[in-house]
Amino acid sequence: MNQKTKTPPPYEGEIWAIGGGKGGTGKTFIASCLGSLLAKKGRQVVLVDMDLGGANLHSFFGIDRPRRSLTSFFERGASLSDILVRTEFDNMTLITGDIHSIASDTITFSQKLKLFRQILKLNAQNVLIDLGAGSHLNTLDTFLIADRMIVVLVPEVIAIENMYHFIKNSLFRKVKNVLKEYGFKEIVQHVWDRRQEFGIRNLKELIDYLKGSFSYIGTILDHELAHFRVSLILNMVRSNQDIVLGSAVKSVLQKYLGLAVDYVGYVEYNDAVWRSVRERKPFMLNYMATGCASNIVTLAENILKGREVTLPGGSE
Amino acid sequence: MTKDSLAPYYAVLELPPGAPLRNVQNAYLRLRRLYSDLSVVLEPLEEEFTAEKRQAVLAEVEEAYQKLLSAIHAETPRSALLPEGVASGTADDEAEVMAFGGLALRKVRERLAVDLSEISKEIKARVELLRNIEEERFEALPEEAYLKGHLRNFAQYLGLRPDKVVEDYLGRYRAWKKRK
Repeated sequence: MNQKTKTPPPYEGEIWAIGGGKGGTGKTFIASCLGSLLAKKGRQVVLVDMDLGGANLHSFFGIDRPRRSLTSFFERGASLSDILVRTEFDNMTLITGDIHSIASDTITFSQKLKLFRQILKLNAQNVLIDLGAGSHLNTLDTFLIADRMIVVLVPEVIAIENMYHFIKNSLFRKVKNVLKEYGFKEIVQHVWDRRQEFGIRNLKELIDYLKGSFSYIGTILDHELAHFRVSLILNMVRSNQDIVLGSAVKSVLQKYLGLAVDYVGYVEYNDAVWRSVRERKPFMLNYMATGCASNIVTLAENILKGREVTLPGGSE
Repeated sequence: MTKDSLAPYYAVLELPPGAPLRNVQNAYLRLRRLYSDLSVVLEPLEEEFTAEKRQAVLAEVEEAYQKLLSAIHAETPRSALLPEGVASGTADDEAEVMAFGGLALRKVRERLAVDLSEISKEIKARVELLRNIEEERFEALPEEAYLKGHLRNFAQYLGLRPDKVVEDYLGRYRAWKKRK
């Protein structure tokens, strides 16, 4: 993989969202490590745990039961800046979820808008949002407000399947949002409702149909989707074969959905991750010597510099 | 053909414009393998990204490769690329070959303009061994079980169906053994 492949401009900061559909792929682990690394670089970082049904980001930093959490925000009207929780890193704070009280689907539309408004106003150079599993609309919308949309994948068929689902749904949501902004909301729904009549079987065909039937929609979508770029991280790899799977996924997303994808890096499987979780210490403090940690350093650099992964022994 | 007019072909092969021949070949082989069978990456999309659509991708990849290959050939001294008499590829290599012996493998490889040393690195087999396979020096080849593995990797690298290649080649190998 050549590092010069269509590189986006070097990244300046702001919001990174880490999602990917399937649970257990290591989203929270990766988010905690990226947050730690950015903090170690001296950036002001806020990590947000949006895995509302299964919040556990805090435990990656050895925090047991955070006293403040998003529950205060949703139920008692606290502002985000009031519920920041400190970490071992001076310049990084957490906004924790709460396993007990809220689920993603109980959040109202206005709560969601308020949350997004406040996220955008957080005083930080990087806000990292850890998303939950699944493709709930709130999860997709949170993914879509990010400047960097990051998906974490493991080399296994269910994870790949869920990730496609997640990305397709994000894209569909984006298309709908964009066309709504331009006043074409009804057209999308109309065409989708009568999709059988039009011979449309999936999202890709819907987009192609819209573009083909209404040239102005094609122009809008081309323009708006030009910035729809996904960064791909392959976690828990055990072989070179696993690693090149990332390139294959990238190719399929490009060739099938026409999506721009940056394969920013992979992380090798390492038992130290589980040890570190049990020890309740930040991985990037205690395990910097592992191959796993250096993988994460590399991929973080790739994200920051707008580069892609260098494949082992690869010349492409 | 100008540089700009080649850019879309490089894009199809997922390469930056002007990538060297070696990368063009690797990308071509990789994509051909990827879209030829229903791997773990394509399986979840089987119903929507249909065989027909994948075929269209393969055709696009093939076209891009041929276009780039002839453009690169046009600006490189011929001696540096292909041995005399080998046409740069046309249709499906497999369709043209009835049975895969050493010569057929060599022809496919030469059509792709890849060195044995390159394949050797990629599939972790000695150049010597690969040469013996191509030249059908059966006496110098390893035990059938090992040979099978190497043939499989070799075929896969060349974008051929491993089962077919193994079956054909071992057929010839066994016939030789019998005669011996």
